[in-house]
Amino acid sequence: MKVRYVLIGILIGMAMINLTGKAWPKDKEVTLLNVSYDPTRELYVDYNKVFTQYWKEKTGETVVINQSHAGSGKQARSVIEGLDADVVTLALAYDIDAIAEKSGLLPIQWQERLPDNSSPYTSIIVFLVRQGNPKNIKDWDDLARSGISVVTPNPKTSGGARWNYLAAWGYALRKWNNDELKAKDFVRAVFKNVPVLDSGARASTTTFVERGIGDVLISWENEAYLAVKDLGPERFEIVVPSVSILAEPPVAVVDRVADQHGTRKLAEEYLNFLYTPQGQEIVAKHYYRPRLKSVAQKYAAQFPPIKLFTVDEVFGGWQKAQKTHFADQGIFDQISPL
Amino acid sequence: MSTRTEPAWIRRALIGIALSFLALFILLPLTVVFMNALNKGIAIYLKSLSDPAALAAIRLTLLTALIAVPFNLIFGVAASWAIAKFDFRLKNLLITLIDLPLSVSPVISGLIFVLLFGAQGALGPWLRAHGIKVIFALPAIILTTIFVTFPMVARELIPVMKAFGNEEEEAAMTLGANGFQTFWRVTLPNIKWGLLYGVILCNARAMGEFGAVSVVSGHIRGQTNTLPLHIEILYNEYNFTAAFAAASLLAMLALVTLILKSIIEFKYRAELAAAGKFVIKMENHV
Amino acid sequence: MSIEVKAIDKTFGTFKALDQVSLKVATGELVALLGPSGSGKTTLLRIIAGLETADCGEIFFHGDDARGKMTKDRNVGFVFQHYALFRHMTVFENIAFGLRVKPKALRPSEKQIKEKVHELLKLVQLEWVASRFPSQLSGGQRQRIALARALAIEPKILLLDEPFGSLDAQVRKELRQWLRRFHDHLHITTLFVTHDQEEALEVADKIVVMNKGKIEQVGSPEDVYHNPASVFVLNFLGNVNIFHARSSAEHKSGEKPAKMYVRPHQLIVSRSPLSENSVKVVLTFVNLAGSIVKIDAQSQKGEIFQVEMSQEEYRALKLTKSDEVFLTPKNIAFSEYEI
Repeated sequence: MKVRYVLIGILIGMAMINLTGKAWPKDKEVTLLNVSYDPTRELYVDYNKVFTQYWKEKTGETVVINQSHAGSGKQARSVIEGLDADVVTLALAYDIDAIAEKSGLLPIQWQERLPDNSSPYTSIIVFLVRQGNPKNIKDWDDLARSGISVVTPNPKTSGGARWNYLAAWGYALRKWNNDELKAKDFVRAVFKNVPVLDSGARASTTTFVERGIGDVLISWENEAYLAVKDLGPERFEIVVPSVSILAEPPVAVVDRVADQHGTRKLAEEYLNFLYTPQGQEIVAKHYYRPRLKSVAQKYAAQFPPIKLFTVDEVFGGWQKAQKTHFADQGIFDQISPL
Repeated sequence: MSTRTEPAWIRRALIGIALSFLALFILLPLTVVFMNALNKGIAIYLKSLSDPAALAAIRLTLLTALIAVPFNLIFGVAASWAIAKFDFRLKNLLITLIDLPLSVSPVISGLIFVLLFGAQGALGPWLRAHGIKVIFALPAIILTTIFVTFPMVARELIPVMKAFGNEEEEAAMTLGANGFQTFWRVTLPNIKWGLLYGVILCNARAMGEFGAVSVVSGHIRGQTNTLPLHIEILYNEYNFTAAFAAASLLAMLALVTLILKSIIEFKYRAELAAAGKFVIKMENHV
Repeated sequence: MSIEVKAIDKTFGTFKALDQVSLKVATGELVALLGPSGSGKTTLLRIIAGLETADCGEIFFHGDDARGKMTKDRNVGFVFQHYALFRHMTVFENIAFGLRVKPKALRPSEKQIKEKVHELLKLVQLEWVASRFPSQLSGGQRQRIALARALAIEPKILLLDEPFGSLDAQVRKELRQWLRRFHDHLHITTLFVTHDQEEALEVADKIVVMNKGKIEQVGSPEDVYHNPASVFVLNFLGNVNIFHARSSAEHKSGEKPAKMYVRPHQLIVSRSPLSENSVKVVLTFVNLAGSIVKIDAQSQKGEIFQVEMSQEEYRALKLTKSDEVFLTPKNIAFSEYEI
């Protein structure tokens, strides 16, 4: 029966390890859950440090900010299913609309509550290519060329991927004078060159960078910069196309949850702080385009000017775009070869 | 004991294939994991493991196993006792239910819980009204883990209990032992190896489960991330060394599991051989 | 402690194992339940032990209703055909088991347990195996330990389920005699199940012949052997030859005997017919090995007969294989009459 004692020993050991952990929050400690999308991991690590300091100085309260990151669509679904987010900082307005509609946790007009369509930072869609740009990729046309391998995530699951798609479509409309059919053919040709559709932006980046698949990665500008910085500036280059889409990842307080937790004021301040010069500095440091002109000027070298269009201008808003392109039987389903 | 009739070269070829399979699918990945974990030095390795988020993940994984394994142990023994020793109408249903988690994809297993306990799910509103947090919190992780490791103990024990038959337990009863005494003194010593085996498998699965837990976890750093989920996060943050460091923990768990399994198999087989003449056939005396 | 069962029924699915079985066993009796497979004897034994429950009927131990009691409270010693010794315990622990599981109030001290176990080992003449494991014992030794274990709780009733069934012929014979002497010594009410008629005849005070869930006959070995109540009992308890009677001269009431059943040693062998019931046969096989001579013979009609005689008789008759002789019944064990 020696075995019995060994087993009991293991059980006790495990129990002890658990008890030594800090399981319960101390008093005078408030928690805030920020449910965000994939690429903002690094941004919020830094931002949260600065904000908690600011809040402590301002109110004396210690706030612990918990982060959750995954694909934007997946996160929205989780919040609907009960993930108790005090704030959501997602990739596209459509995802937050879905939360408002399906669960009523925040009002339908949430986007009007904060400046700039509730998007304190923006990004654009660019290309990441291998050092030296061996395939000579300069603009969107090149993505449809035969022999080019394009990496992008799946628009069905990834917010970033939908921006990619709409950017390509927008470009085609501009080039061929708003000919929807030509645009459809163009985007079809691009997706034909895609060897693998990952579920999220980060996964696609990993596919391109780590697994060495593809000649060009269509990506958020901030993601591209991050990849270059973290994974080797001597391995990759960023190519900015002639025109791109203005991606406005929005943020919002989840009213019902915040009220339930009593964190309403904190949550609002948390988001407001993003618009302050301090917040915008952090944003820019992490390669997101800041809204504040003063900060934007400071980082002008990082963010070259570029012709941009918005979802509202070209597609009449996210609801319409979602319905036309990404819903079941939508255009993406029709053209997707995979 | 059986005669070998194949020529030597076939034997060697088969053994060779088995060994290369082993090398490719087990040794190679293990080597890669440890090499990557340690390529920045021991200091970084230990630092990444003592990071608060990593510690929280390790703690959560241990806690989950600590709850799931004993629960499934008790349930497994009870279920296999019922199945091996009695005949009752819903027996086949019970056997099917026990096998269910094995035939269902882990992601579906997780989804079942979201559909049950999520805010939009069947029990969601009731739970919300009573302020009970299940999904995207600890209870869901534990429930999901219990669900996917359900079958481990039961499936090991059922054939073992069947093989040993009922007679020793009947003898114990005639000698005046009550149910508990019979179980503790007679049944348990007989099934102990099968039980241990099942517990080890159960534990390995409980600690390593990814898919099902990922669906119900909520991925809140430092709170609802188990070790496997934590590894995914590190990987997604391009923090490969730390990811492999955490993975090395799971790899070590796998190795320990394999070793324990082998020891048990060895001892169990030796015991069976010694008691070989003892195996009782279940005749239906009338 | 006497046993009485009344009108016991037991059905397994569609198979009726016991059909209105009633039986009385007096205190101190050694009774054999004898019958072929499927006769219900083991089921009856298990019902008495409480390991099965009867569908209906009553069970009394010394006048007290035992049906409400669980197995563990019935204080019966049970010995299984395959011993059912606890494989993970030493012989000592096996025997001590019944004492160790007693409720705290009744549990003897360690010293008392030790004494009792050694006493029992002495009784079954196996003191030297106390620290061995069952797997290290021979079949005969295991069965004796099983018996010792059953006796540890000082049962008033001992039930044995084909106790010698798994053993070699020689060991079986030895243990049979041993059980008889054992019983003479201890006088515990004992009920044992067997399908071996030789065993039942040798060991038991009383034999209960069972067939297809019913009791065919209850009686002493002599009763059951010499005065069988039915053809079944007759057939089961020894070899028997069937004669088809030709004359009506047999029975006083004038009925014609249709068949006569004669035991092998009740046949007269002669070179010429002795009566109208004599049958002409050819000796097909002679077995001279043993204390008696066993002869197989076949009539012209193809009927097979088995004859037994002493070695002297055989020599006196100067018989050999392929001889043509006549067989005449000396004593008829059982007759069946035409209606």
